[in-house]
Amino acid sequence: MKKNILHETLFYLVVIFISLMVLFPFLWMLSSSFKTQTDIIAWPPKLIFTPTLQNYEKVFGEQDFLKYFINSTVVGGLAVGLSLVLGLPAAYSISRFTQRKLALFILLARLMPGISFLMPWYIIFSRLNLMDTYVALVLSHMLIALPIVVWIMSSYFNSIPVELEESAMVDGATRQYAFWAIILPMSGPGIITSVTLSFIFSWNNFMFSQVLSMEKTRTLPIAVYNFVSYAEVDWGGVMAAAVAIMAPAIILTMIFQKFVVKGLTMGAVKG
Amino acid sequence: MASVDIVNVKKSFDRAEILRGVSVAIEDGEFVVLVGPSGCGKSTLLRMIAGLETITAGEIRIGDQVVNDLAPRDRDVAMVFQNYALYPHMTVADNMAFSLKLRGVARPEIETRVQRAAEILGLTGYLKRRPKQLSGGQRQRVAMGRAIVRDPRVFLFDEPLSNLDAKLRVAMRSEIKELHQRLKTTMIYVTHDQIEAMTMADRIVVMREGSVEQIGGPLELYDTPADLFVAGFIGSPAMNMLKGTLELGGRTGFSAENGVFVPLAPSPALEGLAGRPLVIGIRPEHLRIVGDGEDGFAVGAKIVEPTGSETQVTATAGDAEIIALFRERQTIRQGDTLRLAPVHYHLFDAKSTERCASIGIDHGA
Amino acid sequence: MRRPSYIEKYLPILFPLPAVIFIALLMIFPILYTLGLSFTNWNLTSGMPMSFVGLRNFGRVFAEPRFLDAVWRTLSFTFLAVFVEAVLGTVIALILNRTFIGKSLTKLLLLLPLVATPVAVGIVFNLFYDPTIGLANWALSSLGLPQGLWVSDANSVLVSLVIVDVWQWTPMITLIVLAGLAGLSEEPFEAARVDGATQWQVLRYVTIPMVMPTILTAVILRLIDALKTFDIIFAMTGGGPGYASETLNIMGFKYSFEYFRMGQASVILIALFFFVLLCSLGIMKLRSTSES
Repeated sequence: MKKNILHETLFYLVVIFISLMVLFPFLWMLSSSFKTQTDIIAWPPKLIFTPTLQNYEKVFGEQDFLKYFINSTVVGGLAVGLSLVLGLPAAYSISRFTQRKLALFILLARLMPGISFLMPWYIIFSRLNLMDTYVALVLSHMLIALPIVVWIMSSYFNSIPVELEESAMVDGATRQYAFWAIILPMSGPGIITSVTLSFIFSWNNFMFSQVLSMEKTRTLPIAVYNFVSYAEVDWGGVMAAAVAIMAPAIILTMIFQKFVVKGLTMGAVKG
Repeated sequence: MASVDIVNVKKSFDRAEILRGVSVAIEDGEFVVLVGPSGCGKSTLLRMIAGLETITAGEIRIGDQVVNDLAPRDRDVAMVFQNYALYPHMTVADNMAFSLKLRGVARPEIETRVQRAAEILGLTGYLKRRPKQLSGGQRQRVAMGRAIVRDPRVFLFDEPLSNLDAKLRVAMRSEIKELHQRLKTTMIYVTHDQIEAMTMADRIVVMREGSVEQIGGPLELYDTPADLFVAGFIGSPAMNMLKGTLELGGRTGFSAENGVFVPLAPSPALEGLAGRPLVIGIRPEHLRIVGDGEDGFAVGAKIVEPTGSETQVTATAGDAEIIALFRERQTIRQGDTLRLAPVHYHLFDAKSTERCASIGIDHGA
Repeated sequence: MRRPSYIEKYLPILFPLPAVIFIALLMIFPILYTLGLSFTNWNLTSGMPMSFVGLRNFGRVFAEPRFLDAVWRTLSFTFLAVFVEAVLGTVIALILNRTFIGKSLTKLLLLLPLVATPVAVGIVFNLFYDPTIGLANWALSSLGLPQGLWVSDANSVLVSLVIVDVWQWTPMITLIVLAGLAGLSEEPFEAARVDGATQWQVLRYVTIPMVMPTILTAVILRLIDALKTFDIIFAMTGGGPGYASETLNIMGFKYSFEYFRMGQASVILIALFFFVLLCSLGIMKLRSTSES
């Protein structure tokens, strides 16, 4: 009995330690975002301080930050939406007609280093006068979202018995109508998983936007990065910006926790 | 309602031949069961009738219409799937109405048809529910309801009862049969369970490895199986089989390879069968215990299983196992030596496996 | 008599076609373009026309110490980070693989680093690593250890970056292994216990061998992503100090978008591409063996 209690205590201590290690950078970021510059550069680092909102006022007071926020949302939203349009039929086809080579082909987009297409894009988009436009950014972010959609949805469709379409087809539907009226309406969980995950990855993307966007279409990660380069010493503002950029992804994750875990782990576990 | 003609139909995937030329003529209003071990091609054949598989060669006609190139939706058949294939996001009523909506049937008409199907199947109280909220048997009924509302030319069933427990399966078996008597629509039913086939079918098609072994009524298959495969497949417990030769000179009987000698009454039907390798087949229920004065062969009782209505005895004869089934009460104990004689038996050619004689079978009974 | 519509007949081609065209245009074509550029001498800013130089770019880049260092650095960063992540991640997963109060909260916490914006993560860690005001040095000095320069020192920058990568991606391994463990059937464990195996023996002879395929796949996925690490390094050090944290990805980026030496940049990208391809082949091999 005694040994058991000791064992349990030890276990929970380990769990708390792991959680703290994971959480600490977030907590420090959050607390620093409420500190004045003096509190931040204080030595030794201050754990107790008077919180201030001035960093957030500064970040959101700059009207541009809102613009970047909108840019990120629009680019992510459009990229994910269009990826669904392209990806759902492709995923369905991979699943139902067992097109393994096609699956690998699309998976390649997830595996290849982004920079190996980014340089040619830069040249091509410049020629087409598409630099700093939503078109260029959305297209590039679709290459992030599409493989995720196809990957997740094809395994999701695999879990739906094919008899559902067959039954609909015998009952008078075409295959494409069965896909539309039977399969898609019951694919909610899969679609939520792929939308959440691909939106977060688009939201966090730095490299593509760094190259393809300028003032007009700049997304949040670039804005935050630039904030550091221009305002090297304003740690409070930077931390507030970091909180602002991470908040949406984290909130989405909290709401759709189960779906996100599934999406991140399914490929490897099924492997 | 319509007849279904399957003419020399073949199916191959890549190199593998699934169906090797199958012909079955199904009459209008008939209940035909396709039965066979798994992998015999029965489900593939059913799916070809539905239009879910392409036809490599041959012809399938529904009514007078060749349907080879027709999409499933244009064949006017309804199908009940093994896993029911209910649409999980629709209510029971919507599940049943789906096909009618696709056909553009007017709403009031849809409602009356769904209502009528629900009444037939006892689903009236469940129309607003989702498939998830139903028991296995109810789901099975919804799947049938979905087929009934259509009033199709042909009903197709693909092992519809295999996901139900034993008791429910027996109940649904008679329900489907009753439904057939009521609707009188042509039904084609696939199963691997020979008892299901025997109890439900007007005619049974026994399949093996992509070919038809025998087509006939349930009792026809039982009484006069075409070959060893059908003989072994139909009937439970399975027919006893011994390899050996027939002896006609002197003492008439079957001399099995394992040394057992089964004495047989002389019969003109046995002429000309002596000397070549044969298999004798005796159904467990066609063995009787004989007294000391009568001709019989000795076996040692190994397992005695009384079920009340009958007694099943597993016995050894030489190195072979013989199963006998007695309707009368028996006081046999394990280890007893019994003397048995066949009331009816079949002889099969060992090489071609085809039946060459059936002795003592009274077709009138 | 109606035949199946053409759309239905060609569905296996029509359905994936838009996605395939998209990927061909936006990925395959650019990759081929990159390949082609590697045989040319082209500076985007010079205004000079492109000229074919054969394999000269390869010779020049491969002979350059900066490139060889970058290759070595990319591989050391990748293997060090993924090794630590794999061990740590698996150990944590094995610890957490039981029921306990707060399990779902713990799993949620583990999820957060994975979805945190890498650029922002890098910046937060830069605050930790700041030699004068950072927590890292404060922690060292309160333990009585000498302070360090972290990302500002060529000797410690790579390890400092590995720490960030480990913080962000260890939970990925943990979650994957946890999901793998949850998917295992109970019977082998019960059988082992009935056979008299100790807890340690169950772990050693049953649990680990059974989740090994999952761990391996997770590790290869991580290897591919770690090879491509960009955001954190770019945001924290930009490849510096000097070239001390310049990986292939960063170097390729600089050659492309700072020096605009497209031909040589292509060679660097091809090198990176090659390593990623090697790992990807690993994944496909693993997949095909687990399938058969």
